Amino acid sequence: MATPEAVAEKRELAGINADYKEKFGFHDPESGYAYKAPKGLSREVVESISEYKDEPQWMRDFRLKALEHFESRPTPNWGGNLGQIDFEDIHYFVRASDKNSRDWSEVPDDIKNTFDRLGIPEAERKFLSGVGAQYESEVVYHQVNEKLEAQGVIFTDMDTALREHEDLVRQYWATVIPPNDNKLAALNSAVWSGGSFVYVPAGVKVEMPLQAYFRINTENMGQFERTLIIAEEGSDVHYIEGCTAPVYSTDSLHSAVVEIVAKPSSRVRYTTVQNWSQNVYNLVTKRAVAEEKATMEWVDCNLGSKLTMKYPSIYLLGPEAHGEILSIAFAGEGQHQDAGGKIIHAAPRTSSSIFSKSISKDGGRSTYRGLLEVADGASESRSKVVCDALLLDEDSRSDTYPTIRIGENDADVGHEATVSKIGDEQIFYLQSHGLDEEEASKMIVNGFIEPVTKELPMEYAVELNRLIELQMEGSIG
Amino acid sequence: MCPLAELPPGAMRLVEHGDVKIGVFNCDGTLYAIEDRCSHDDGPLAEGEFDTASCTVECPRHGSLFDLTTGRPKTLPAYAPVRTFATAVVDDTIVLEV
Repeated sequence: MATPEAVAEKRELAGINADYKEKFGFHDPESGYAYKAPKGLSREVVESISEYKDEPQWMRDFRLKALEHFESRPTPNWGGNLGQIDFEDIHYFVRASDKNSRDWSEVPDDIKNTFDRLGIPEAERKFLSGVGAQYESEVVYHQVNEKLEAQGVIFTDMDTALREHEDLVRQYWATVIPPNDNKLAALNSAVWSGGSFVYVPAGVKVEMPLQAYFRINTENMGQFERTLIIAEEGSDVHYIEGCTAPVYSTDSLHSAVVEIVAKPSSRVRYTTVQNWSQNVYNLVTKRAVAEEKATMEWVDCNLGSKLTMKYPSIYLLGPEAHGEILSIAFAGEGQHQDAGGKIIHAAPRTSSSIFSKSISKDGGRSTYRGLLEVADGASESRSKVVCDALLLDEDSRSDTYPTIRIGENDADVGHEATVSKIGDEQIFYLQSHGLDEEEASKMIVNGFIEPVTKELPMEYAVELNRLIELQMEGSIG
Repeated sequence: MCPLAELPPGAMRLVEHGDVKIGVFNCDGTLYAIEDRCSHDDGPLAEGEFDTASCTVECPRHGSLFDLTTGRPKTLPAYAPVRTFATAVVDDTIVLEV
């Protein structure tokens, strides 16, 4: 027999993403699409993507080599269950519109209406320095503040960057994540399309965030965007990404690659609010290098998808570099969030922290998988890893797989992990202070995730703000 | 190690010295030698793709690109250099200093 507290808690939590289908899970007609590749992956498909984009030969060679890596590697058998993905049942390239506009009025009506519903143009007007909107395989809208452009900031989609800034792209391309880093990075490298390219010149501080929004519309779609951020010495930038997709009964695949180079004394923050529908496999490789005295921060929120496997990494390559990973994962019914982070201290006096919070309910599964490494020579380095898991019922599951390797005797490394359940005693204690059951449940969950949510720039986009409020405050607590 | 003629430009040869495996590369006439062990995960390295133009070898396991002239990685996931060895040609024979 459920306790009154459990009933109240269940009522609160039942609302999480309950209105996903209405708010985010709708889909548009595809009648006006410019091109939709047939399902399946082959050399011909890869060549046709490259041909469509009129790419230089080196990029075409890069793609084909990556395809060989993808085909020669086994599917990972760790983390989540990838055995159900049928790589031949996916559209690898879908072009919804022939052009990438800098004016919303030029975006096809169906697509513009979708982004209106998601609140992107409104957020752009109010809070952002620049916006990229990717729909299916390609970016349909991109705009950046004129003042930033005048300062030399480049914020454009990756396809345009390759055409207009080829030398710069080529200098850094795949230096952080090579195509055969792992099977999914190889897949992305073979069929990548869209994503963002950000270049911030030395000393330039981008005061307001840059945002990219990724939308899948087609059924059985694969979205493979590629993002590269280069922050020159002493610069500062905050990049935010959000994503949603329609609810379908068949699966889609999202497999991105994100590379970040933080030059000396720069600061890069990369925030993700991932809210794919629960028919999307989200298999992403994200990695950053931080040079001397640079700061790199990943704020990684995983709320949606069927299965997420994502472990943002930071290589602290220069002395006194600093890295932070804030990770929150929410796993509801039918979801597996296999998330975490990796930090490698490869230089002296580097510092880092990983804070991971996960919530599992209704049989959902959350996993923290992380690596903290202090390399030989990274003397006087400091790090703290904290993993907290909250289980909301008996059917849910939480696992923690922390790996720590220490190569220096004077490293200062701490690791804490907790798994907790909302208990009757906690509810009773708060009730004794005048709260009712519902408020008590809210307060406990809010307190649990507060260290992460306080880092989210709630005001930056109406849609993301609404999402976080709905999922973290309105529904959970 | 072997006569110079047996290692023409663009070629690589693996040799063993005790427990150490060494890859010797001929980059357009200049010889370089590195330990056959990637600093990322200790996997074999020297039989990866050898680019004579950039004088690099790519680790076949995870793709780190190593500069043969210095042993330093040019791309992640490796970040530490691999051991390098001095080479010389004496009487048309390649000599390694280990």
